[in-house]
Amino acid sequence: MITKSNLYRKEKIYGYLFILPPILGLLIFTLFPFVYSLYGSFTDWDGLGQMNFIGFDNFRDLFTDELFYKSMYNTLFLMLGIPIGLVLALLLALGLNRKIPGTTTFRVIYYIPVISSLAAVSIMWNWAYNGDYGLVNQFLELFGIKGPNWLMDKDTVKPALILMTVWKGLGYTMLLYLAALQSVSRSYYEAAELDGASGFQMFRNITWPMVKPVTFFLVVTNIIGGSQIFTEMNIMTPTGGPEYSSASIVFYIWDKAFKNLQMGYASAMAMILGIFIFIVTLIQFKMNEKSSFDGD
Amino acid sequence: MRKKKGFAITMVVLLLMVAALAGCGGGSSSSDGTKELTFMFRGGTDEQKAYKEVIKKFEEEHPGVKVKMVVTAADQYATKLRAAITGNNLPDIFYFAPGDLKAYVNSGVLKDLTPYIEKSKDINLDNIWKYGVDLYRYDGKMAGQGNIYGMPKDVGPFALGYNKTMFEKAGIPVPDKDKPYTWDEFIKVSQELTKDTNGDGKPDQYGTGFNVQWALQAFVWSNGADWLDASKTKVAIDDPKFAEALQFFADMQNKYKITPGIEQSQTLDTYQRWMKGEMAFFPVGPWDMSTFEKLPFEYDLMPYPVGSTGKPATWIGSLGIGVSSKTKYPDEAVELVNYLTTSKEGMKQLVDAKVQIPNLLDMADEWVKDTKTKPSNKQEFIDIVNDYGRALPGNYTYNAEWYDIFFTDIQPVLDGKVTAADYVKQEQPKMQKLLDKAVEQEKKSQK
Repeated sequence: MITKSNLYRKEKIYGYLFILPPILGLLIFTLFPFVYSLYGSFTDWDGLGQMNFIGFDNFRDLFTDELFYKSMYNTLFLMLGIPIGLVLALLLALGLNRKIPGTTTFRVIYYIPVISSLAAVSIMWNWAYNGDYGLVNQFLELFGIKGPNWLMDKDTVKPALILMTVWKGLGYTMLLYLAALQSVSRSYYEAAELDGASGFQMFRNITWPMVKPVTFFLVVTNIIGGSQIFTEMNIMTPTGGPEYSSASIVFYIWDKAFKNLQMGYASAMAMILGIFIFIVTLIQFKMNEKSSFDGD
Repeated sequence: MRKKKGFAITMVVLLLMVAALAGCGGGSSSSDGTKELTFMFRGGTDEQKAYKEVIKKFEEEHPGVKVKMVVTAADQYATKLRAAITGNNLPDIFYFAPGDLKAYVNSGVLKDLTPYIEKSKDINLDNIWKYGVDLYRYDGKMAGQGNIYGMPKDVGPFALGYNKTMFEKAGIPVPDKDKPYTWDEFIKVSQELTKDTNGDGKPDQYGTGFNVQWALQAFVWSNGADWLDASKTKVAIDDPKFAEALQFFADMQNKYKITPGIEQSQTLDTYQRWMKGEMAFFPVGPWDMSTFEKLPFEYDLMPYPVGSTGKPATWIGSLGIGVSSKTKYPDEAVELVNYLTTSKEGMKQLVDAKVQIPNLLDMADEWVKDTKTKPSNKQEFIDIVNDYGRALPGNYTYNAEWYDIFFTDIQPVLDGKVTAADYVKQEQPKMQKLLDKAVEQEKKSQK
């Protein structure tokens, strides 16, 4: 009996050893920084020297910080790109799901932005948006329209960023939709056709419900990703844009933490952002729970 | 119980690993006794090349010391350095901005170089720009006096250049290097040089094109105004003299039309327009000399146009080279800093590479006499350092947030949508609030 339990124990140790690396990774690179940052958010840490506990002062300051609201608003505004991207990608996927020649080529074309580095893409769009010699304005000029200096004008900088992020994410979203569409059994459509359903009815009652899990996944991941948008504005509008109109919340956190020696304050913002993402995701899961599979 | 023990072991392992991670960085020594120093810096391609050469020479002259160079793009440097400090992973020797001096000294990041400098026979502080060395002095209360925590890599007087070829072509007498233009004269000449050369109805050649963040100072200071008052704790932009200078700056585009329009006014554009010879006046920093060497036209330096004080003004940039307080080889590290900043051998290579003006006064005297290489009026650079240059306002405060926001919000003024007078009134309290915070932060870091 004893030997058996020994053997069992040995196995158990091996088991733990095998899962140790990812757990250690999680602890060191996720949990530890998280706890550190949580503590930091209650201090006046400047990122260099001592951390002095100051209670909720950082959070109190946040509520009267104009730029915090502004960058929060900018971040939410930029998320307008999410529904636009989803609709466009679904339409594209529907188009590319047909058996017509050339679809493979188009799939590749739409996917290219996804594999390109975000920094390179940002630099490219930076040129495209140049008010003087940029591609976008040269194109508009063909129609006699005089384009603005996109990234230097606070009214156009956000739409410009949205356009770019939609373009960048389109291929990935389209690919997931395409996969979802292809997994829908033909027999549903055949049955609907026999019942005399119109194309729109088929889309509404078969396609849309069948791709719903993908839509849900995309909405959740896009909102999480969208809350953390940073690289694009850091490269295209390195000072946060005219009147800080393109600074995202992560941009503002970075600005405070690394440029202005306010790591504690930045940690407090990061905490708020984390809570925000958590709540939004929770709501989405609740909503999805309620509505999914009610067609079954 | 067992479970708790397991957890305890995990935590111990974790702490050990964290400790091990925190322990890395700084100098390391290989088995054969070579001392390895890490040097983190930034600069354009020509600068990088020049510094690599100098380091190579240093290694040749100092057997047993190896220098590992870490170089980053200019706009990423500050972030990378802060991350290295936070992560306890500082290089032995590194560039730092004078504005960060107080914060880095108060938190014990920088080594006090004074004893090493006093001990050294090779260093003669009287032969280096006093302005440059003073930028890196700090006595715990005031910057500019006390012990030395870094040596100036260089001083960077931001001069004004003009396209000589363009003047000659237009038959306009070139600017007098001893008698600066008044603002009115500057506008008049610029208007004469703003031209449509290919007849498409749009100008292709402009008087100038200043980037507000780097050129507004010249106009504000020369008009007798400033961002801060003498105590450096009050934002002083709500001064009619300040508004007047800012309005003049905006009017160059909106009223006098001597610069590219709103839709063309990105920095990249004006820099490239100058390089293409489409601009009469453009600021020139010493770091640009190697690039401007290859310009397809002749250029030279002149004083900035003067406002109501009648005296030109501009700023002098600088970067310090500091030593980490945790370096394993302080002697060698300081030796390298001195080689890069005060030694004849090192300085000569850097000056010959045309990436900076000499740090050493006697060398600068020689350098100025050479009027054959571009720009021929090198004296202007020296005049700025000796006479009319100043530090940027953000350098005086614990952080530059209050100063940065001035430029973040300024676009409507440049576009002519808001008057300068309204802007300074609206912006002053906002900046004051941030400055108060910086002052408070500084006080906290001192204890």
